[in-house]
Amino acid sequence: MGLGRLLGAAAPVIVGVFFVAGWEALVRIGQIPVYILPGPILIAQTLVADWGTLWPSLVVTLKITFAALGVATVGGVALALLFASSRWVERALFPYAVILQVTPLVAIAPLLLIYITDVNVALLVCAWIVAFFPVLSNTTLGLRSADPGLLELFRLYGAGPWSTLFLLRLPSALPYFLGGLRIAGGLALIGAVVAEFTAGTGGTASGLAFRILEAGYRLNIPRMFAALFLISGAGIAIFAGLGLVSRLVLGRWHDSAIDRDA
Amino acid sequence: MALVSLSGLGKTFPSGTRALGGIDLDIREGEFLSLLGPSGCGKSTVLRLIAGLVPPSEGSVARMAGLEGAMGFVFQEPTLMPWTSVLKNVMLPMRLSRVPRAEAEGRALEALARVGLKGFEGAYPRELSGGMKMRVSIARALAARPRLLLLDEPFAALDEITRFRLNDDLRRLWREAGWTVVFVTHSVFESVYLSTRIAVMTGRPGRIAAVRDIDLDPERNADTRTSPAFGAEVRRLQADLAAAMGDGL
Repeated sequence: MGLGRLLGAAAPVIVGVFFVAGWEALVRIGQIPVYILPGPILIAQTLVADWGTLWPSLVVTLKITFAALGVATVGGVALALLFASSRWVERALFPYAVILQVTPLVAIAPLLLIYITDVNVALLVCAWIVAFFPVLSNTTLGLRSADPGLLELFRLYGAGPWSTLFLLRLPSALPYFLGGLRIAGGLALIGAVVAEFTAGTGGTASGLAFRILEAGYRLNIPRMFAALFLISGAGIAIFAGLGLVSRLVLGRWHDSAIDRDA
Repeated sequence: MALVSLSGLGKTFPSGTRALGGIDLDIREGEFLSLLGPSGCGKSTVLRLIAGLVPPSEGSVARMAGLEGAMGFVFQEPTLMPWTSVLKNVMLPMRLSRVPRAEAEGRALEALARVGLKGFEGAYPRELSGGMKMRVSIARALAARPRLLLLDEPFAALDEITRFRLNDDLRRLWREAGWTVVFVTHSVFESVYLSTRIAVMTGRPGRIAAVRDIDLDPERNADTRTSPAFGAEVRRLQADLAAAMGDGL
């Protein structure tokens, strides 16, 4: 491992340390009141002190996120298989998938909350709507991107549609699917949080967005920041986790998973 | 009897391009036939018609009984599956035609040894050089034990040193195994070196301008390439090609 790579890994950490130190210094020197901008040390203390409230909320939000991601993955891949099997199905359904994708979630969420009585189900549907599109469009693209030479080879040796699907189309689609999954992971979390905000304090759910709203009403700004920190942290963890999955699965064969310097 | 018989064969693509017209050619059992011609003259299309990968627009392709499923195809690109090992790639045609796994593995290993890739079974395609990938591609075609091997400019993208070596390997394998080869190329030298017979093609629409038997010692090596007999064959073919191009324009 060279000095360059070490510096590359250290650079974002250094930036982070300077940012947090600058923030703390600004708050102390400027004597900024806590209800306007709390310093990072106070936020950390709040995070520890309020852990009993924040942790269950994080679990609620993550449950919705992962359930939505799971449904989006299964649904997105299933629909992609349907699209790849027939141009007509794709032409008929794709515009509606796009409509779901381009309509802002905050605009649909209130309606869904009215029509779906179970709030948890409504939140799940909201998160699913934003998460499934990248899986669908990437997997469809991947299924269509199988090497034409290999497709001919499969035909020459008399491969049936199932062998072609399992031995050629699905492996070809894998890098595309994993790329879509990484985007979907972040979007599922955003979808869950946005839906919780829309459900608001009136809902029975008690996810992190609910905690932020609640803390906002009570002017408990440090707790708002602590909850925000947890949401960001969860997003980063999901992104990194899916990235790791991608590297492990693609392992030796795909260019995206190969370290060029090695 | 001919292994494959092409009569009045023509191909017009949906775009309206007439790629081939009036091709009559018999592929004899055991021969090494080259289709020689400039780029875009429809050589590859002939090969794909023989393989049945595209249907003809006119005329017919008559294959000897039992030839379907016994044809190997080597493309211009190695066309390997990047997500799996060299061994699995070579086993693919046998897997598709339901050869028992143990037998398929044995045949794949044997084919890899024959193309000089023993020890690379576990490697992934991206870890190999261009020439090695092409060898894997040839091993894949060999392991399926084809009666007819179709090669579409397989060495066009390789450097001359590698190409010469693969030429020698291919000729040796052909003599050992006794299958029939149809080899597409745009190199006069390569076709003379490899073939027992050469069909000279010309384009727009593609047709066969001349067919020539190559009368060289079957034992060919580096000395063959510089021998007077080889030179004479090359000159005759160049004249055929020039005449074909002349009246093609």
